[in-house]
Amino acid sequence: MEWFVSSVGVCLAAVMLDRWWGEPSRWHPLVGFGAVVERLEHRLNRPQGTSVWRGALAVTLLVGPLVSVVLVIAWLLPQPLDWLFSALVLWLAISLRGLAEHGMAVARPLAAGNLAEARERVGWIVSRQASALDEAGVAAAATESMLENGADAVFASLFWFLLAGPAGVVAHRLINTLDAMWGYRNERYLRFGRVAARLDDAMNWGPARLTALTYALLGHRQLAWRCWRSQAPAWDSPNAGPVMAAGAGALGVSLGGPAPYAAGLKQRPQLGEGPAPDAVTIQQAIGLVRRGVWLWLLVLLVLAVTGGVLPW
Amino acid sequence: MVKPQLPAHGGNLIQAARRWGIPRERWLDLSTGINPNGWPVPAIPPEIWQRLPEADDGLDEAVRIWTGVPDAAECIPLPGSQAVIQALPGLRTPGRVGVPHPGYQEHRHAWAEAGHQVRPLSREDMDQRETWLDELDVLVWIQPNNPTGQWVDRDRLLAWYQRLAARGGWLVVDEAFAEGLANVSLAPWAGRPGLVILKSLGKFYGLAGLRAGAALVDPAIGTTLRRVLGPWALSGPARYVMARAIADQGWRARMAERLQAESERLHTLLARFGLRPTGGTLLFQYVRHQQAGQLAEALAQEGILVRRFDRPPALRFGLPGNESDWRRLSDTLAKVIDRLITN
Repeated sequence: MEWFVSSVGVCLAAVMLDRWWGEPSRWHPLVGFGAVVERLEHRLNRPQGTSVWRGALAVTLLVGPLVSVVLVIAWLLPQPLDWLFSALVLWLAISLRGLAEHGMAVARPLAAGNLAEARERVGWIVSRQASALDEAGVAAAATESMLENGADAVFASLFWFLLAGPAGVVAHRLINTLDAMWGYRNERYLRFGRVAARLDDAMNWGPARLTALTYALLGHRQLAWRCWRSQAPAWDSPNAGPVMAAGAGALGVSLGGPAPYAAGLKQRPQLGEGPAPDAVTIQQAIGLVRRGVWLWLLVLLVLAVTGGVLPW
Repeated sequence: MVKPQLPAHGGNLIQAARRWGIPRERWLDLSTGINPNGWPVPAIPPEIWQRLPEADDGLDEAVRIWTGVPDAAECIPLPGSQAVIQALPGLRTPGRVGVPHPGYQEHRHAWAEAGHQVRPLSREDMDQRETWLDELDVLVWIQPNNPTGQWVDRDRLLAWYQRLAARGGWLVVDEAFAEGLANVSLAPWAGRPGLVILKSLGKFYGLAGLRAGAALVDPAIGTTLRRVLGPWALSGPARYVMARAIADQGWRARMAERLQAESERLHTLLARFGLRPTGGTLLFQYVRHQQAGQLAEALAQEGILVRRFDRPPALRFGLPGNESDWRRLSDTLAKVIDRLITN
């Protein structure tokens, strides 16, 4: 039980660090990781797009050593330093303020009627063809990104920290990054990226559903629940489906639908219900993630406090 | 001297089957712009096969009724418009010839082979004032243009004709894709000196293998053309089928209506996938696309053959022939666009 109380304390500390410091502005460990990932993919994905096993080897080589290092550090550090280390790792992983800043960088010019800048900024956070997006399209892309990254980065990091400590957070963050880089269905990655994609699906299964539940509880509850049940199964990712359907329902807006890429419009099912999104929707999505974090912390605190009193 | 490369065409399924390793019968061929539900050909009586074709079998008259040409015009049945595309350049001393680009390549090829100087006319040339017209001795226009689907107003075409004819020049109008469109054909003006109109049964009637068509020309060009083509240019069975196909006005009216609906359907389908056509005819849609090559390749890997153009990068989609082909095109486009998302 002592372990749980200290874990909750670390979660609180990490969220506080994020509030004060935001994202590290100069250097983020994931930037270096991205470069290594690319080099290793060039070496191992040969002949291009042929082998699932080489993809598995790449995942092991990239994730294994780093997770081991974190395990050893956590093992070696004495008590108070161990907590500090955990809080720093978790802080780097959640980057809630960074998420909000990226969202606001789109919402602000969009609200001011500067569609060109909003397009450019949304192009930084989503892979679709920003130049082809209209105002509602920009707002939808940014809102979807907030909802999905809220699940992948913020809530999943908290989840994996509580379940497996700093090593769990690092493993999840790295695999999620690999999925973002290799999880495409084109020839180059369909086979090579399969292990990363499946691992990511597995690690996010629980957190995604808890996130969807969180969004639903904090928004239009019935609509969110209905959208989750009816729309999520049609979405092509098993975890993004519930998160975005429940999120869109919670916000009471229409998301999803066709999205422009350089190759053409990707056909996607409708998510949510109601009016088309606008700049305000992006802010509401950020608010939803923020309030979700407070709800989680509150529940964790209550559990930590009552844990000592209750028989279990 | 380097021989100019022969123009490429759609519809080469045997080659596609070999290149992508998909058996011929599994392909959905949308590469041609030929009506997939063509005119139903009846049985041909044995004597048509056995006797030499006769010039007074009524085909000339059938062509007159079909095209509605005035009495002054000559109607010459052809073994496909290709025959006259190749013959025409030889009827003039080498000069300057304007040919649409992008456009059906056989025109450019035939005039260049015969030693004429070819001036490619871009879409921009067409959109601007026709200052280029004064340099030309012959202008070839494809109405509507293949593959871009662009078409020029009939009054504007006639004005071009006037200016060319005043200098003894020609206007050659290839109406291969004009069948079924109202108020597009220049046939009512056929017979004027230097106006050449080409008709084909390959597209709207879906009888591309028949190699049948007609030239509507003035008597002077007509006489020379008949001499160049020689007797029996068009086979007996081809004359027999052609005469009956073009006389079937009920089928033509129903098909025009049906193709109108289907070409709109194809336009809508492509637009739904972000491939909004920039032009089209009853039988194909033309899509300018930066990733045309990758899209064509990905579609071919799924057994759908479309025509790909490189300058500018573009695709031409013909009409699917039945419901299951329509569904296959739609499903495959969704899949292919998914797969081309790289980052």
